[in-house]
Amino acid sequence: MAYARPCGDFKTSYAQDMALLDIRLYRWGFLLLLAAMVAAPWVLGRWIYLLNDIAVFAIGAVGLSLVMGFAGQISLGHAAFMAVGAYTSWFATTHLKLPFVAALPLSAVVAFAVGAVVGLPSLRIKGLYLAIATLAFQFLVEYLIVQTVSGMGGTPVPPMDLFGVPVNTEVRFWYVVATVWVVGAVFATNLTRTRVGLALMAVRDRDYAAQVLGVNLLYYKTLAFALGAAYAGVAGSLFAHYNRVIGAEHFSLAQSIDFVAMLVIGGLGSVWGPHLGAAFVRMLTQLLKMWAPVLGAVIPVLGRATTSVHDVVFGVILIVFLIWEPGGLATLLRKFKRYVDLWPFPH
Amino acid sequence: MSGQFVLEGVVVGLAVGSIYALIAVGFTVLYKSTKILNLAHGELVLFGGYLAIAATSAFGFLPTPAAFAAGVAVTLLAAAALGFAVERAVMRPLFGQPLLSVIIVTLALGYVVRGIMVGIWSGETRTFPPVIPATVVRVAGVPVSLVGVWSAAAAATLLVTFSLFFRYSRWGIAMRAAANEQLTASTLGVSLRRVFAYAWAFAAVAGAVGGILLGLWLGVNFALAAVGLKALAAVILGGLDSVPGAILGGLLVGVVETVLGGYMEAHVRVLGQPLHGFKEVTAYLVILLALMVRPHGLFGTERIERL
Repeated sequence: MAYARPCGDFKTSYAQDMALLDIRLYRWGFLLLLAAMVAAPWVLGRWIYLLNDIAVFAIGAVGLSLVMGFAGQISLGHAAFMAVGAYTSWFATTHLKLPFVAALPLSAVVAFAVGAVVGLPSLRIKGLYLAIATLAFQFLVEYLIVQTVSGMGGTPVPPMDLFGVPVNTEVRFWYVVATVWVVGAVFATNLTRTRVGLALMAVRDRDYAAQVLGVNLLYYKTLAFALGAAYAGVAGSLFAHYNRVIGAEHFSLAQSIDFVAMLVIGGLGSVWGPHLGAAFVRMLTQLLKMWAPVLGAVIPVLGRATTSVHDVVFGVILIVFLIWEPGGLATLLRKFKRYVDLWPFPH
Repeated sequence: MSGQFVLEGVVVGLAVGSIYALIAVGFTVLYKSTKILNLAHGELVLFGGYLAIAATSAFGFLPTPAAFAAGVAVTLLAAAALGFAVERAVMRPLFGQPLLSVIIVTLALGYVVRGIMVGIWSGETRTFPPVIPATVVRVAGVPVSLVGVWSAAAAATLLVTFSLFFRYSRWGIAMRAAANEQLTASTLGVSLRRVFAYAWAFAAVAGAVGGILLGLWLGVNFALAAVGLKALAAVILGGLDSVPGAILGGLLVGVVETVLGGYMEAHVRVLGQPLHGFKEVTAYLVILLALMVRPHGLFGTERIERL
């Protein structure tokens, strides 16, 4: 889609043309966004926990968007990679006595390795079969968690410790998670513009054709899975130290499907998609959590039906998006931007 | 592993496996004629189980066998209606959309169906009124509950009926034609829409019957939806697009789960801990193994991709 470019904003060099934020409006917009993130705790007050929640899952969703949105490989086991990161971080901080700054990269590395191993079969099996294989992986990880570490309950995780400063409040956690979020998002966005990102998109569109054109399928498919898993691992590590307790229920199939929902609702193959989707899904989850009991109290006929309201609402929203707006929120946003750009003319 | 243990496992496994096979056949038929992998299949099973129990107790004024028969009839009709409704409302607008959307939409559908079921009937285990006496009979010298024998017999009868339907009836032939080559079938006057609708109704009915049989045996709670994934294992093992493969796969999964899973749970210890619930993951191990060694399954057609 071509946009009307703003007048008076000229590009005079190749570097300017290739810049990530290529027009003045975007540069100012990005600065404003960063400023808003810094100021968020004062504006939101105690509601900052909503942003923390969104940030953790958005980081995971960015990873899944590399796998599903850019490389086109279906993964129904993303929460399992998150579990790998969470438990690595737990093990590193409690048993190895490593500081958090070492545990976070370590969980990314371990998740990267596990992701590479799980991604290996993607060369041989694809599409439907790959979806099923990742589903099986998800169940096996859940089983392992229950059998070996956590049982049916949870495992306590110590709070984050950043160079001697305990990160034990929502506001402190926000600055840590926001830093990781911005760095991770910018890295992923840049990655999609490099050779790696272009190769992944070629694989998504037609893997054999990409192979004929010289894209090493094994390398790029495995890399996509490994990178996606690394993001999930980081999200898992942050989640573990934020939630302070981890168990099989946090990394269940339902969570994997929530990740898929974030991508579909946000928009597959778009840079903003996972962030918008994560915000939408997490906000809705929190809202439903808050309002379901109220709904049950106001309309007693519904009674215990409110317990499953989350599942039904999510299912319906997913179906509605897939049928009417397969591009997700990102496409809606783009349409809105186009409308504003062209206003008051229809075309 | 003593001989007696294996023999018992095989007999019980075949009984459970015949139900898996029945559910798996619904899966395969749907995949063959619509190329849709239905991840909501387990929820269709759940739907059958719950509705049959509710309908049976609603007909409680009748003598138990009559109430059960009426309940089953209502359930099967409702399942067929659900199948038609799903096809019309959700699947038809997505016709020709990429694989990813279709898979996710079936997942979402499963969410909705399960949510509604759990919302109405809550999570606890529900059982049928005693339709079949809880006695134990001996098959090949192995004690099996009478319910198990009945469900195996019912599943076998239905499998034969289904295969006759696909072999000889007009709609069975149309569905096979559509499965073989959609475009050609539609030029020869087969209404693809109707075939898809029938395939969904068929899958829903097969799932519901599976749900009723399993419900008679084990009772119904919302973990029953996991059976859909066992049927998936059966289908992957047998080959996604092969009906005999689905039947054999179902029986194999049933036997492997009972023999291997039972053995591991009873005798193998890891780090001094017994392996609880290993039976439940055997199906996924079967899936992973089948995908590694023979991605197209035992009898499935190997897809050759061309540019």
